[in-house]
Amino acid sequence: MLAEYSSLIALIALTAILAYSFYAVLIAGQLSLAQVGLASLAAFTSALVVPAEPLFGFIPPLVIGIVFGMFVGAIAAFILGLPVIRLRGVFLAIATLAFGEMVRIFLINQSWTNGAQGLSFSKLVGPWIAWIALAVVAYWFWRLSGSRLGRAFAAIREDELAATTMGIDVPRYRMASFVIAGAVAGLYGVLLAHFSRFADPNEFSFTAAVDGLVTAVVGGVTLFIGPILGSAFLSVLPEVQRVIGIDAGWIRPTISGVLLLVVILFLPGGLSGLIPLRKSAKRLIVDPSLQPTLPSLPAAGSELVSLSGLGKSYGGVHAVQSVDLTVNAGEVLGLIGPNGAGKTTLVNMVTALTPPSTGSGTVLGVPLSATTKAHRLAQAGVARTFQQIKLFNRLSALENVLVGGYRVTKDTLLRRLLFLPSARRAEREAMAMASAQLIRVGLGDKAANAAGDLSYGDQRRLEIARALASHPSLLVLDEPAAGMNHVEAESLSELIRSLAADGIAVLVIEHNVRMMLATCDRIMVLNFGEIIAFGKPSEIARDPRVLEAYLGSAGSDEDADAASVLASENLAQVSADRDDAQLGLHIDPDPDGVTNPEENR
Amino acid sequence: MQLFLDGIFLGSIYALFAIGFTLVFGILDRLNLAHAAVFTAGALVGIEIVTRFGVPIWLLIPIVLVVGAVLGILIERIAFRPLAGRHDAHFAGLISSIAFGAILLSLLQALYGADTRRFPADAFPSTRVEIFGATVSLLQVIILIISVSLMVVLTWLVAKSKLGRGMRTIAENPHAAAVLGLNVGRISSTTFALSSALGAVAGVLFTLNVNAASLGIGHAVELKALAVIVVGGMGSLPGALVGGLILGVAEVLAVNYIGSSWRDMVAFGLLFLILILRPQGLFGARKTREV
Repeated sequence: MLAEYSSLIALIALTAILAYSFYAVLIAGQLSLAQVGLASLAAFTSALVVPAEPLFGFIPPLVIGIVFGMFVGAIAAFILGLPVIRLRGVFLAIATLAFGEMVRIFLINQSWTNGAQGLSFSKLVGPWIAWIALAVVAYWFWRLSGSRLGRAFAAIREDELAATTMGIDVPRYRMASFVIAGAVAGLYGVLLAHFSRFADPNEFSFTAAVDGLVTAVVGGVTLFIGPILGSAFLSVLPEVQRVIGIDAGWIRPTISGVLLLVVILFLPGGLSGLIPLRKSAKRLIVDPSLQPTLPSLPAAGSELVSLSGLGKSYGGVHAVQSVDLTVNAGEVLGLIGPNGAGKTTLVNMVTALTPPSTGSGTVLGVPLSATTKAHRLAQAGVARTFQQIKLFNRLSALENVLVGGYRVTKDTLLRRLLFLPSARRAEREAMAMASAQLIRVGLGDKAANAAGDLSYGDQRRLEIARALASHPSLLVLDEPAAGMNHVEAESLSELIRSLAADGIAVLVIEHNVRMMLATCDRIMVLNFGEIIAFGKPSEIARDPRVLEAYLGSAGSDEDADAASVLASENLAQVSADRDDAQLGLHIDPDPDGVTNPEENR
Repeated sequence: MQLFLDGIFLGSIYALFAIGFTLVFGILDRLNLAHAAVFTAGALVGIEIVTRFGVPIWLLIPIVLVVGAVLGILIERIAFRPLAGRHDAHFAGLISSIAFGAILLSLLQALYGADTRRFPADAFPSTRVEIFGATVSLLQVIILIISVSLMVVLTWLVAKSKLGRGMRTIAENPHAAAVLGLNVGRISSTTFALSSALGAVAGVLFTLNVNAASLGIGHAVELKALAVIVVGGMGSLPGALVGGLILGVAEVLAVNYIGSSWRDMVAFGLLFLILILRPQGLFGARKTREV
């Protein structure tokens, strides 16, 4: 009975291994169609090295073939990756597809592959070996999924830019996923050749690549078991149809096509989406004994950021002109100004997302230049949030914060593979740190929710928690109070003050001027890319140029709100001055200050 | 000269196929992998119609255009529209269009069998003419005229007509287009219909050129078309035309000077090089979607 199906059973395993090769790139958000070409390279070159007899009398020929094939697959993927890794989406898919076809045509035209006639291999692989190989590969991906490396891949898939600002070296990790996929593809190629005993380069065609991709996607990439499910489903389907007596010819492919369509349209997560997820990153771990000791922050008052003459222009437009600024540990520095004043451009330069056009600067010892990579700054201790929220939407809130902890955790994959207790402890420590940050921003009860499902205000808080998880020396917040009511804004203000008290330097952009006046130690006001005022909140509130900037901006409701707050501050100031005047200190009331902005509009 | 003209004929068919392909990508940002099956369908249905009713070529082309358009609407409705709004619409669209293509091919197999089919002998005039010292058949000239004029009409449609304005608005920003009151669903359908109509006609013309069609012809052309639209610039209609002609000529030259076994290397080598050196293609303005 089983013997009848032994070849099907082996093929399920082999197809699953090919699907894992696609899975390895898909989990990092990349679509590569080179896998089959890499497999082909590995298979045919292995024919050159696999000996007929065990090497040194005890190393089986297949082991040599596998090791060699995986090595060839990985190296070829690396070489292919060098030029193509910067391509995205469809472009990457097409470039890798072209590579696959080029490999096929090259091999067809070589004499050592015997061209289109094909090459014979010795039969070294049966169902047992195929399934053992599959088990090893699946085990590897299972242990990967909960490790720091696995989380980094997921972060890159969800949002590359946010991943970069967590300190993840995105190109390197994308390359890593490429190379892993290449090694798995190499394994597949060698196993397949030694299973079917015969291979010609035309078998490793575009169609085969599409089949592998379809298997991976049908299985789903949300769970490590996906490729096996996909392979079982797609391999068994024709067999089932044969057994229940459906004619070969056109009916079987039609039914397969319809089922594929149904799966893809109605099961967004693939087949593995049907399995209820037992997410490990759901529960908080609140255990003070697990809090690791983190490196201490720079001493309060030490200079973390120093900018001199920093500017950015786009074409002829000066977004930011010649800013001189120092930010010290433990202070809250506010950055305000009407819409379009250049605030975000300035913090983008400070976090190395935008290269400066002029001037120079140093952030946490890293000089800012055109080549400074954002992930390097992040690793030096800069964390940030974004004006347009950039969360890893499909990951849970807790997982988001775990990714944030990338900088202060070590990779656990190798130790996880061996089930070392230290890996488990490291994971629990990371979880405890993340839990603490989540609780700190008041999201303790929403740890298991997908980030994309949270309310706007909660998403803002989650972004802050994620930034804090990296234990930053400098925290950059870009409009953290947007969308919060004033009670929420007040607790945010308290949070910011407490962070500064811990010794973190906080650079915050915000339109809520009332909150800024209450929160910041110093405030810088930008308008049209230039600093128009810089000083203590009380000085800024009184400065007529600031009010003027907000009134003059044709802008938004936010600007009008800011103007009215400033106006009322000025009013308060004026009445205080009047009180002073009655005491005999004569100061001219500022006539602009009493103007109600609403009447001016 | 003979080689050059042969290359132009071949290239114009590649271009016609690719222009439909790139139209959908440029406007809807989706790669429709069922396009190859539509190409095959156009070829086989065309042969069937000629065999059964003996229609002349000037009637055949409009019929196939309609068949292709209907298929295009089906593709949009079945394989793409249900995915709208899904975060993985990109990947899922690739797979669902592959599935649709597979279904279409197996239905074609049911209708016409798996064997290679040909037009009946003497279905079309076999006059040969001499141009610049090269011999070409009248049929080839007709093929060239049909494909070039279809491409010109399409380019005009996209550039000038109200429909084209709608398409370009959607390409820029689908949400804004919907807010502005454009019927995004209908324009998407129309885009797919146009795209597939051209794909189906390309299938017929290709078959006229080589006088053989089997279920597999779509795949080979699909890969070539990917090369064409990348070389010309993803989403660029003139790019697809020029890219198609370049590829056609390059292939014919390669067969002549390097050997037919290396022919396909030209397409993929060109594709790979362009992607590395100039990913936006010769005519492309790549949309950058950043922060």
